Amino acid sequence: MNTQPIRVLLVEDNELNRDMLSRRLTRAGFNVLTAIDGEEALILMRKVRPDVVLLDMNLPIKDGWTTAKEARLDPALQNLPIIALTAHAMESDRLQAIEAGCNDYATKPIDFPDLLQKIEEAVL
Amino acid sequence: MKFWTRRLSLRARLWLFSTAILLLFASNVATHLWGSYARNESLLAFRETVEAAQLAADLGLAFENRRQQILVLDALRDTTDEALSATDLQSALTDLGVIGQQLGRLGAISSEGAETNYRRFHQSASQLLSLWRDFYQRYNQNGHLAIEASNAYSMTLQHLRELDERQAFLAVQRSEAIDGTIALTDRITVIGFVSSILITLALLIGLLSSTNASLKRLKRGAQRFGSGDLTYRINEAIEAGEIKELAHSFNDMSEKLQIAIDEVQAAKTDADAANAAKSLFLANVSHELRTPLNAIIGYSEMLLDELSDDENINRDQFGHDLSTIIFSGRQLLTLINDILDLAKIETGKMQLALDQVDPTDVIVQVCDSLSPLVSQRNNHLTLSIDRESMYEIYTDTAKLQQIITNLFSNACKFTENGHIEVTAQMTSDTLVISVTDDGIGMSEEQQAGVFEAFVQAEATTASLYGGTGLGLAIVRDFCQLLGGSVSLKSTLEQGTQFIVSLPTNLASDHEGV
Repeated sequence: MNTQPIRVLLVEDNELNRDMLSRRLTRAGFNVLTAIDGEEALILMRKVRPDVVLLDMNLPIKDGWTTAKEARLDPALQNLPIIALTAHAMESDRLQAIEAGCNDYATKPIDFPDLLQKIEEAVL
Repeated sequence: MKFWTRRLSLRARLWLFSTAILLLFASNVATHLWGSYARNESLLAFRETVEAAQLAADLGLAFENRRQQILVLDALRDTTDEALSATDLQSALTDLGVIGQQLGRLGAISSEGAETNYRRFHQSASQLLSLWRDFYQRYNQNGHLAIEASNAYSMTLQHLRELDERQAFLAVQRSEAIDGTIALTDRITVIGFVSSILITLALLIGLLSSTNASLKRLKRGAQRFGSGDLTYRINEAIEAGEIKELAHSFNDMSEKLQIAIDEVQAAKTDADAANAAKSLFLANVSHELRTPLNAIIGYSEMLLDELSDDENINRDQFGHDLSTIIFSGRQLLTLINDILDLAKIETGKMQLALDQVDPTDVIVQVCDSLSPLVSQRNNHLTLSIDRESMYEIYTDTAKLQQIITNLFSNACKFTENGHIEVTAQMTSDTLVISVTDDGIGMSEEQQAGVFEAFVQAEATTASLYGGTGLGLAIVRDFCQLLGGSVSLKSTLEQGTQFIVSLPTNLASDHEGV
């Protein structure tokens, strides 16, 4: 792990899940920022330039797929690692997330060690 | 010919064909018989002519002989004066009788058209014979041959010759006519034979080609049907009889096949749609179960991590996190129950527990238990029950409770700083409950699918307002189970009203449910 903590942007509308995941990530040594919807997430991405984004797909105002696509259209955010988080567990859902521009995909319920590995792989 | 044979049935065509051939055959036989008859006639006429000529020659000879004898006798009489014996006289008279008979026979076989000649000959011959008879009878009394006898003889011979010539002329004429007839019948026979062969061939070809054309059309149709073109129709109008019936049967078969295929396809489409709906339902169930499970597993793992740390545990925080796990667990249980309810309804296994119940009690109880939900979003509730009209009804209490709970919690969920009104009244056979809010409302598009399982006004509704998207599907199905219905009125941004009407006596409406 780097000396500088990795900054993670967690975008999750479900209050319980957002609270749980942000606390666990903080405990794991990450610098966690949270957003509730896609709109807010894009603003934060541009403003704070996180090292990695954990993006839920079912979001109010602007869903995860749209958010990922818009992020990829912005030159500044083109190479930003985005990991999709979703309760949709089908293979087609994974492909849909990858097509929208996400680098990786994690299914809820989250396997936390697996998620940490995915974050590390994305940041490297 | 093609036109009318095409219009005739196959059987009629065969009949016609056979009859025509039989007629031709019969006419051939008739001409042949006519020819044979003419030949016979000709032969007969020839024989008669020959016979008549023979008889005439015999007669001529007999006359001549007799005249020689008489002349000799006459000369002897003059010189010797010898009497004639009775035997000789008798024999001479008999001879004359025989000549007379032959004369009669000649008359019988003389040709028509020779009657005048014969009559003349007969007259002179009869006269001669009577003169000769006189001569013989008077011979012994010194008789002499009369001078007239010589004249009569020459006259008779003259007439016999004329009769002979006349007969010969008539025979030639008649044989010419018969020859003509024979030549004609021969010609007719040959022409008839040749033409019947030609006509038979023509009929055969006509029959074959017209039948063949019809059969070809049938074959083409059958091939088109076989290759799957069931919209093709064989032209029945130009066919007739059995082939028309066959063409009709083919067309009928094609139509029925098309209908059957359409039905199968429709059934397949329905089955596919049902299958797709099931898959979607399953995917939705999976999604809905995963969301609370994520919280349960996540918080539990986190608490376990905290326990294994050496740091002091924040008991308040720990308790709160445990409550969160319980809350999520309960949410999961509700979801599973809802799914099971829906599955039971779908498979027709939902049982009704019917009982007497006062709907007022149920409504009040539900509103009481859900009062925290009302105040959660700063709403207030008006309960207006027309108590005068209420009486005990016969229905499934638990389902009624569930219907009111779902509608009421929906109203609370989608309304903020607003007003929720629950009303109830009854007629002689119907209980009407309405739940009205002045919340976010729904567009017409949203209203259309709101009773379907897992459908919420928007994909994001669940995350904003919670819920599984099963509540209204269950309300709709339960209302139907209880013999009633649910309807809604809604305007976007202004609010929603759900109206449930249920029969007060389910038993009388739903015997045996």
